[in-house]
Amino acid sequence: MSDAITLALPTGRIFGETVDLLMRSGFTLPEDVKQARRLHITNGEHQSSVLVKDRDVPTYVEHGVVDAGIVGHDVLAETNPDVYQPLDLGIGRCEMVVARKKQQPKGAYRDLPMVRVATKYPEVTFRHFHGHGIPVEVILLSGSVELAPVLGLADCIVDLVQTGKTLAANGLTVDEVLFPSTARLIVNRASFRLKGRLVSQFVASLAKEVAR
Amino acid sequence: MSQRTNLQIPSGVQCFYGREARLRREVERVIGDVFAGWSYEEVIVPLFDYFDVFARGGGPSLNDYIYRFIGRNGELLALRPDFTALVAKVVASRMTDRSLPLRLFYSGEVLRYQPPKAGQQKELFQIGLEHFGDGLEADLEVLLVAFEALDRVGANDAVVTLGHAGFVNGILEESGVASETRPGLLEAMRSRDANRVTGILGRQAPVAVMEAMGLFGAAEVLERASAIAKHPTSRAAVARLEALWGELETLGLGDRVQLDLGEVRSFDYYTGMVFEIYGPGVGLELGGGGRYDSLLGKFGLPWPAVGFSLSLDRLAQRVDDRKPDIAKELPVTTVKLKKERSKGLAEALRLRKQGVKVRID
Repeated sequence: MSDAITLALPTGRIFGETVDLLMRSGFTLPEDVKQARRLHITNGEHQSSVLVKDRDVPTYVEHGVVDAGIVGHDVLAETNPDVYQPLDLGIGRCEMVVARKKQQPKGAYRDLPMVRVATKYPEVTFRHFHGHGIPVEVILLSGSVELAPVLGLADCIVDLVQTGKTLAANGLTVDEVLFPSTARLIVNRASFRLKGRLVSQFVASLAKEVAR
Repeated sequence: MSQRTNLQIPSGVQCFYGREARLRREVERVIGDVFAGWSYEEVIVPLFDYFDVFARGGGPSLNDYIYRFIGRNGELLALRPDFTALVAKVVASRMTDRSLPLRLFYSGEVLRYQPPKAGQQKELFQIGLEHFGDGLEADLEVLLVAFEALDRVGANDAVVTLGHAGFVNGILEESGVASETRPGLLEAMRSRDANRVTGILGRQAPVAVMEAMGLFGAAEVLERASAIAKHPTSRAAVARLEALWGELETLGLGDRVQLDLGEVRSFDYYTGMVFEIYGPGVGLELGGGGRYDSLLGKFGLPWPAVGFSLSLDRLAQRVDDRKPDIAKELPVTTVKLKKERSKGLAEALRLRKQGVKVRID
């Protein structure tokens, strides 16, 4: 095992860009990786990958069942895993925002006695609103968060926005940007020590490609 | 309360029985014997104490995890989240007449209110030691004891990564990093997140801070560290690590140690050498420790100290995979009672006197 490293790759939003980056960095992934539904692939001689849901990447890495993983900063901000984060890969760029209905004035929800926020990111949401002393009721959804304000389920949303088109199409607009998010390389703390050479080589080969 | 509620368990706690329970006791016994073999004396400390003891002894990073409760007289109490502060208190209150070095060990559970993730429970089993005394010899001794303990439970492939709290502290001092930005910065450094470090310090982040995060590997790391260590605290740290590394090499332990000067252990009380122990197949550290010279001072006794603790949970998990012969059940002699009850019982007593494992049928 110690002559190979295993990765967890996110099958969601940033999957395509992740695969492209790995290929550009010299790893040979199966050609049909983007279409095939396999969950376990080999990328070259010293590497194999498991394909998992974005949210699960930190879990796999933190438990050490894989050595490293690629995942959006948004997921790390939400799950706060105890892992190394040696590299910002610069791909999958987007922003974590608070969005409100277009016709409402900016920041109006802040004056409510209790703000109802629909989100897939409860931790990020609590941290932001409670950090500003604003009481919040988090309405946890797993998709189509933009619908919540339209249907009156929530006063605003906290979500990841890439182009803003989905927001606009649902009559929403960005109220405040919380933080930018890009894909990160994360490494298990034990693997960083026990497979130091392989891990550093891998980090270096990605870093070289990212810097280009 | 319904029957169902009685059987539910709160998240973060475990029960052990059968082989698992025997294995844990065996690992605990073997390691306890190693500690005793190096003249460490067992100390049994209370499960709870005044909150203040832990708040003082653990620093802010541990505070968030402490289970607190109010005693009948209104005093704020807490379940122990860590042994070090309790042992320090015992020493400062009861052992001030002892001469240094003073060697103590402990074993038991600690409780931390943390979300159970990555296999982390709220109840953790630890075994560890504290060596009250100064100098390179004490640091070395503690490392040697750790190596033997690991060997005896089949973890001889574990790697110890060695660093020094003073190195990074000196660099932050030299770079003029304000004390209020330090907690966040140390957190970012702990993740080796260069991005977040520049985010905190700005584009002009001191080169030494950035470089410190990459000081990981064998002896050559010390040369690079030496080149960026300007502050006396950092220089002393490098000198201590050089001396430790030299001795460990001489003892043939060089290949089991890695240097990692960028490591920032998450407890605030470390002042000198720090180390973490990792083993193949376990994604989290098997144990770790270091030197904490200012902790006892907080209890009114300015004694230097160095120590470490091992995670019994993670060691037992590993032993199970590697040493299937450990903690085997003893052969058993069955005594049948049937009609001649007193004769059977007398036979059982006789066998027990001989130390034979008996089962009455």
